[in-house]
Amino acid sequence: MPESTTTPPAPSRAVARPVSEALLNEKWDFCLSNALIKSTLGLGFGVVFSVLIFKRRAWPAFVGVGFGAGRAYEECNSSLKLAAREIKKQA
Amino acid sequence: MLRASLRSVRALGSRPAAAAAGHQWQAAVARRVTVPAQRPYSNDKKPSIDSAKPAAIPASETLTSPSTPPPPPPSTVASSIITPEAAPLTPPAPPVTPTAPAAAPTTPPPPPPPARPKKSFFRKLRNYFLTLTLLGALGFGGGVWYSRINDNFHDFFTEYVPYGEQAVLYLEELDFRKRFPNVGGMSRRDGGEQVKIPTQSGASWRVADHGEPAGRQSSALPKVAAAKDAAKATPVEIPAVAEAKKETAAIPKVAKNEGKPKVAKKVKAAPVPEAKATEPAPAAATPAVVAVGGTPSGKPFKAPEVDEPSRWPPASPIDPLAIPDAAEPVIQDLVRMLNDIITVINHDGANEKYASTIWKAKNELYGVGQKIRDIKTSVEKQAAKEVKVRVDEFDKAANELVSRIEGAMTTQETAWRHEFAEEMERIQKSYDEKVQVILEREQQINEQKLKNKLLEQAVELQRQFAGDIRKHVEEERDGRLGKLDELSAALAELEKLTTGWNEVVNTNLRTQQLHVAVDAVRASLEDASHPRPFIKELVALKEIAADDPVVDAAIASIHPSAYQRGISTPADLIDRFRRVATEVRKASLLPEDAGVASHASSYVLSKLLFKKQGLAAGDDVESILTRTQTYLEEGDLDKAAREMNGLSGWAKTLSRDWLGEVRKVLEVQQALEVIQAEARLQSLKVE
Repeated sequence: MPESTTTPPAPSRAVARPVSEALLNEKWDFCLSNALIKSTLGLGFGVVFSVLIFKRRAWPAFVGVGFGAGRAYEECNSSLKLAAREIKKQA
Repeated sequence: MLRASLRSVRALGSRPAAAAAGHQWQAAVARRVTVPAQRPYSNDKKPSIDSAKPAAIPASETLTSPSTPPPPPPSTVASSIITPEAAPLTPPAPPVTPTAPAAAPTTPPPPPPPARPKKSFFRKLRNYFLTLTLLGALGFGGGVWYSRINDNFHDFFTEYVPYGEQAVLYLEELDFRKRFPNVGGMSRRDGGEQVKIPTQSGASWRVADHGEPAGRQSSALPKVAAAKDAAKATPVEIPAVAEAKKETAAIPKVAKNEGKPKVAKKVKAAPVPEAKATEPAPAAATPAVVAVGGTPSGKPFKAPEVDEPSRWPPASPIDPLAIPDAAEPVIQDLVRMLNDIITVINHDGANEKYASTIWKAKNELYGVGQKIRDIKTSVEKQAAKEVKVRVDEFDKAANELVSRIEGAMTTQETAWRHEFAEEMERIQKSYDEKVQVILEREQQINEQKLKNKLLEQAVELQRQFAGDIRKHVEEERDGRLGKLDELSAALAELEKLTTGWNEVVNTNLRTQQLHVAVDAVRASLEDASHPRPFIKELVALKEIAADDPVVDAAIASIHPSAYQRGISTPADLIDRFRRVATEVRKASLLPEDAGVASHASSYVLSKLLFKKQGLAAGDDVESILTRTQTYLEEGDLDKAAREMNGLSGWAKTLSRDWLGEVRKVLEVQQALEVIQAEARLQSLKVE
């Protein structure tokens, strides 16, 4: 009985709202994944461009990665700052 | 040109009304004069026009039209006259045309016209006056004639036309004379000699006849015989005079002249011979009566001898004086007849002839009067006798009647007295009976009243007795009932005591139960190795507390999620604190408004920080964390929570959930402590 009672609240808690100590970690996770995806996307575009237009030169691929990573960084930064502002408001 | 000028002139002339009237009048006069003059001119016109000018023809034509007269009038009459004079002098004579026709009859040449107008003017005047007079005369004549036919017009004519009345009167008189030549002459004479004619005129003969009786009747009835003398003297004279006049009227005027002096003489003589002539007059009475019819025929012959008989007739009027029985109508009539006859005889001058007869007649008249008087007296005597006899008879009858009536009265009186006495007795009896009845009734009423009073007194006495009994009974009852009440009060106190003890026992039980329940809750909390709901225990506790406000408030202060899900144990809390602490440390070096870079740097740098031990002093995150950890290790949850509440920024947000958990646990603990204190208080109260 005790086990059965304890188990249900855990999932509900996870679904409803992250625990307060995990807030920052979640943001970090989102940022990293975002950066990875965007950089890979940029890399992909860069590779395609390099192959098609720039005679297989390397720099278009790097440029694409940079674009993607920059984009991800900016998004992460803005989200963190927004969170900080919210915290300030609450306080 | 000419027409235009005419128009303008006409317009001018038509404007002022007064002026226009004047013009018209003038025009009419002018036309009157001109029209007769123009006719010959029209006949003569043709040769004249032919000889003079063709231009004159249109002018004359225009003039003939009614519009022509107006143009000359604008100026006054004098001016119109002057203009023609001036006009002929100047050659162009179209405006002067009205004068031209006037001039035309004489002859065309211009010089004559000026003279002619003058002549014509005078002639006009003459003609005018002639016609005026003629017309006036005609109108007057017609008026007179018509006034004789129509009465209304006659009135009007005589009243408003000067000399109309005279004329009409004259005509009427003429007419009247034509119809009655004789009367007309008389009437004429009447107008001339008013005073004399009535005395002499033959017409007055009839009048005198009528007048005499009227005068005599009036005088005879109201007045006495003495008055009659004077009355007779005058009326007789007048008729005499009238008769004389009548005859004289028929005879030439010379006779009349003679008659007049006669009349005067007669009038003078009449009073004097009155007294003397009494004797001769009666003598002539009878023949006069017979000769009444013959007198008129016989008289004319004796006219010249009038002087003597004129003295005679005054004698006859004495007759009436002698008649004392004038009051009787028969004698009056006779006297009147005789007088008439006498007067006739007097006038005829046959006094001498008839004096004896008249005298006889008078005597007879006297005799008749006396006879009548005698008859009257005899009749009166007889009547007196009869009256006396009748009176006696009446007296007798009256006496008898009176005696009879008296007898009847006496009998009636006795009868009435009897009746009266009987009636009195009857009435007395009836009254006595009534009085007895009334007395009996009054006695009965009195007896009944007394009985009623007795009954009322009995009822009152009964009531008083019942009241007294009730009072005594109640007094005795109160004595016994008072004791019973005391007993019941004592019993009630005992009951109260028992109930109080019961209550005490109950409260004791309740407090014990409360203690148990609180213990149960605490046990359930402490026993659990991991959080579980303790709602059942709380419900039981609430039921046991039973409306205890303190307990209710304490339970209400606990967060519903605490007893629904249960509270975490201290071990759990410490475990979770460790995880939270690592996370908080990572974000310990974050600045405000931190971005990705600052986060990453704080994460890296936080790992390099030294760890503190025990109760570290300082407000930084690391020292706070170490202090809480030490508190937790000591088991002081309250202080640990206070320390963690001092964090700020990201660190606080990260530790929010853990703090909430700690607070729930603390609330529950506090509530339980409060309840326990309450229970202890209750148990203390009971004791």
